Amino acid sequence: MIASIFRSVLRQTRRHPLYVGLNIFGLALGIGVFLTLTLLVRYEYSFNAGFTDADRLARMDERWSMPGTTPYESADVSFRAVPFFKQDFPEIEEVVTFTKTNLYVQKNGQFTHFAGQTTDPAFFRMLSLRFLHGNPATALTRPDGLVLSQRTAMTLFGKYDVLGKIVEINRSGQKTIQVVTGILAAPPSPGLLDDVDMLLPVTPQERLTRSCFRFWGSSCGEILLKFRRPEDIASVNARLFDFVNTRAAGPADDDVSLGPAPTKTYTLSIVPILKMHFHDVNVEDTDNSVEQYVIDSIGLIGLLALILGCANAVNLATARAGLRAREVALRKTLGAPRHVLFGQFMGEAMVVSLVAGLCGLAFCEAFTPAIASITGEAIRVDYGFIGLLLPLVIISSGLASGVYPALVLSGYQPAAILAATRMPAGGRRAALLRNGLVVGQFSIAICIVICTLVIDRQTSFMRNADRGYVRSGLLIGQQMHSQDIGLQRRMMDTLRAIPGVTSVTLGELEPNPHSLTRTTFLHEGSKGRIKVQMLRDRVSSDYRDTYQPHLLAGRWFDAEHGQDDGPSNEEFENGNGNWNVIINSKAARAFGFEKADDAVGKILRTDAKHFTIIGVIEDIRFSSPRESISPEILFFSSLQRIAFDNPVPAVRFSGVTRMLMAERLDRAWRTLLPDVASHFAPADELMETYYSGDERRGNLFTLGAVAALLIACLGLYGLAAFAAARRVHEIGIRKTLGATAGQTLVLLLQDFLKPVFVACFMACPVSWLLMRQWLNGFDERIALSPALFLLAIGGAALIATCTVLGQTLHLARAEPARALRAE
Amino acid sequence: MLIQLSHIQRLYRSDEVETTALQDIELGIGHGEFVAIMGPSGCGKSTLLNILGTIDRPTAGSYRFGGEELTHLKEAALAKFRRENLGYIFQSFNLIDELTIEENIELALIYRTIPKSERRSRVAHAMDRVGIAHRARHYPSQLSGGQQQRAAIARAIVGQPRLILADEPTGNLDTENGTQVMDILQTLNDEGATIIMVTHSPSHADLAKRRVDMLDGQIVISVRNAI
Repeated sequence: MIASIFRSVLRQTRRHPLYVGLNIFGLALGIGVFLTLTLLVRYEYSFNAGFTDADRLARMDERWSMPGTTPYESADVSFRAVPFFKQDFPEIEEVVTFTKTNLYVQKNGQFTHFAGQTTDPAFFRMLSLRFLHGNPATALTRPDGLVLSQRTAMTLFGKYDVLGKIVEINRSGQKTIQVVTGILAAPPSPGLLDDVDMLLPVTPQERLTRSCFRFWGSSCGEILLKFRRPEDIASVNARLFDFVNTRAAGPADDDVSLGPAPTKTYTLSIVPILKMHFHDVNVEDTDNSVEQYVIDSIGLIGLLALILGCANAVNLATARAGLRAREVALRKTLGAPRHVLFGQFMGEAMVVSLVAGLCGLAFCEAFTPAIASITGEAIRVDYGFIGLLLPLVIISSGLASGVYPALVLSGYQPAAILAATRMPAGGRRAALLRNGLVVGQFSIAICIVICTLVIDRQTSFMRNADRGYVRSGLLIGQQMHSQDIGLQRRMMDTLRAIPGVTSVTLGELEPNPHSLTRTTFLHEGSKGRIKVQMLRDRVSSDYRDTYQPHLLAGRWFDAEHGQDDGPSNEEFENGNGNWNVIINSKAARAFGFEKADDAVGKILRTDAKHFTIIGVIEDIRFSSPRESISPEILFFSSLQRIAFDNPVPAVRFSGVTRMLMAERLDRAWRTLLPDVASHFAPADELMETYYSGDERRGNLFTLGAVAALLIACLGLYGLAAFAAARRVHEIGIRKTLGATAGQTLVLLLQDFLKPVFVACFMACPVSWLLMRQWLNGFDERIALSPALFLLAIGGAALIATCTVLGQTLHLARAEPARALRAE
Repeated sequence: MLIQLSHIQRLYRSDEVETTALQDIELGIGHGEFVAIMGPSGCGKSTLLNILGTIDRPTAGSYRFGGEELTHLKEAALAKFRRENLGYIFQSFNLIDELTIEENIELALIYRTIPKSERRSRVAHAMDRVGIAHRARHYPSQLSGGQQQRAAIARAIVGQPRLILADEPTGNLDTENGTQVMDILQTLNDEGATIIMVTHSPSHADLAKRRVDMLDGQIVISVRNAI
């Protein structure tokens, strides 16, 4: 039996290489895409899942809802609550802080950047992390301890066994000597420890001085928790409201607490680490997150590719069934029972599926590195997993593609077949099935194509959208890590003196800002008292020439106006006085000004301080395009009296290349701040992380669209080939009756393309709904224009026409006499 | 003279073999004639009929129809010629399975610019003439052989062609149905239609006005029947 199945498949391949080739190629492509995307989806779902007791681990997030702004959730939180957690919640077994910090190792004047985390000694025990060298229990108990990742040990020393080695760490200009006390083994799954090069203990001094350890309103890093039981997470979460009301409450004028009713603006919430990867899409201060539905959609594309491949096989097999009808009739006449024939045809489908599965594995091997580089995720072909999955896929696609055709074939009535002059088409039901499959295939393909077009348009729209400042000819430096006004002035002068520099400015916010400070301001106007929480920035002179924001109303800051200069941080915290400010258009609207001009001259208040609005600028986007723009207030410092807080210089230049200018700026920076690494970069580079994720996923959709279209076209080609074979005779009659080749061509194309157009009608509403939901995630977005849909439909129709054109032309040109004889 | 064939030759070439299907055919047919072509299988009758019907091209020679030379016409012009001048009847009926009888008959008209209402009335008239009007909405597979052939005749006459070509029209029919078909053809001829018919049946050939006998791709005899 088995030998006869293989023999039959071989014979089919020799006699109809096109059919068998299309069948295997389509199925292999489907299986290849399915395997590859399954690997990707499995990877995305594996984030943090490998840590021991992952279901008991969680992170504590803050939720802020301040007046005038969209409420937001932040992963970076205040550590003020840390000592209270274990006291108030016996369910909590362990609490550690986990704070990102940029570290540099300086060698021969060159800085090497390492991603660091400061944490508590219990961190390794809490996550049950394994060390290659050193003792996890004591590694961070000494204040000069340092734990390296394998990769970092290799980068710094060229080997793993480096316990006791000394590393001089430069933290934004502050140098410390650390001793290597541990080498971390590779983490069990992606997530929490991705891109962590070094771990250091939190120093006792940091605990005393750093504001996030002291004040509820200040934040700097994450809090990780381990619960005694998984179900404790929900029960503690439910009691956090009371916890905040008890622990964060204080008098109204108290800096440490959040006032008498803290939960009005502030709550805490627990995010299990198993959910972090998907949850963090809407959380500030997180990276490497992805929307779960995007990953699910990618998984769906994989599954659809497999279904398309199977549908293709069913389509070709039922089409070919007619060709084998005589064989079946003869076998039956010679006494073959139906179940034997059924077994034969199922066996053939299984063999085809097996060959396709092996080819699919080869496709998967070829696709995976490409997908890994497109997504930037460390996906590889995991043979342990594939070894389990592939047999299942082969068997199920063999069944899916084999059962129906085998039933049809083995059910032929021999007498009818042998008496008939034409091969049976399987009746109207089979024709309906074949057309239905092509409709299904094209619906899916067109849907994916439309989504791809929309994603592509949106990502390029985001990249090219006006961000409220002029990006070309602009380079942005690092934080200066200095409050020294003299140094800040010298930095301005030094940079300004470089040939090619046309203007220099300092600001406390930059594209992809390093920190955000928000304060609530009050305006009493015709619409009553309106409170708006605004993002604070401070800018120096020449900000307007450097960033070139659009001034909508009023005037720009001027060092000649005394009230423009200020307030300093001290004046803002404690003093009273009058200053001039500029706000952005979002803030003007939030305060109820209908036109920008209406805001000019109006007064904003906070405590006893008064601020006169002298100008309104268009919104500047320094943040992710997914986040809504914050209302913003700009203070001014002429650098005569008031120093900036960790300012970031920005430089506008002309007449030299960007590379050369960046090199000159970096060199000049080193003369003033030799211990702080310098990297002047264009705004787009700083904001790259906001765009790259969506672009990568867009690329994935493009690949999915190509695969789906290819498989759908294979299906259509198979259908056309079958119809061509069957309709030779009909075309002969039509031509004998006077139809021209052109008329015949139009008739055939109409018939072949009908399912494609039906598919368009089905795909459009579905993709419209999907894309509307996706676009809703962006603050600024493109309209879902009908042009995109028409483009996809036109493209699909064109590709489909090209697919069937060869067959159709051949058929339409057939000589009628020969065609009639074909009977 | 409606048709004038001179020195018609038709060769079939395959990879290794060259077969002569027709050799030096000379044949003239006048308006209103009813010609029966006879001969053993493989003598070239159907090839001749296909060439007369312009669905096959001669390898050499001239084919004039109503004084116009057809051998040089392009495919599109031939298609136009066919739909305006010819009606076909085949041994195996050649009705399209997916279309109803009515639609099959209408097929002979849809490639011309005839308004739908007129097409409908001409189809109805043609069906009446051959007596299958009650089967208009049926599919070919639901009809008997005789009914299918009558439908095919209706399709051949609906366009009011100048020439009707019939390739063994009674070959697949029983005697009774065969006789009915021959009656219809004779009536059509009596009304003025020119008919060329290939047949194996001497009795049906005798019903034609003229009989042409073929052998090995050549015309061996052409006699006028005494009616």
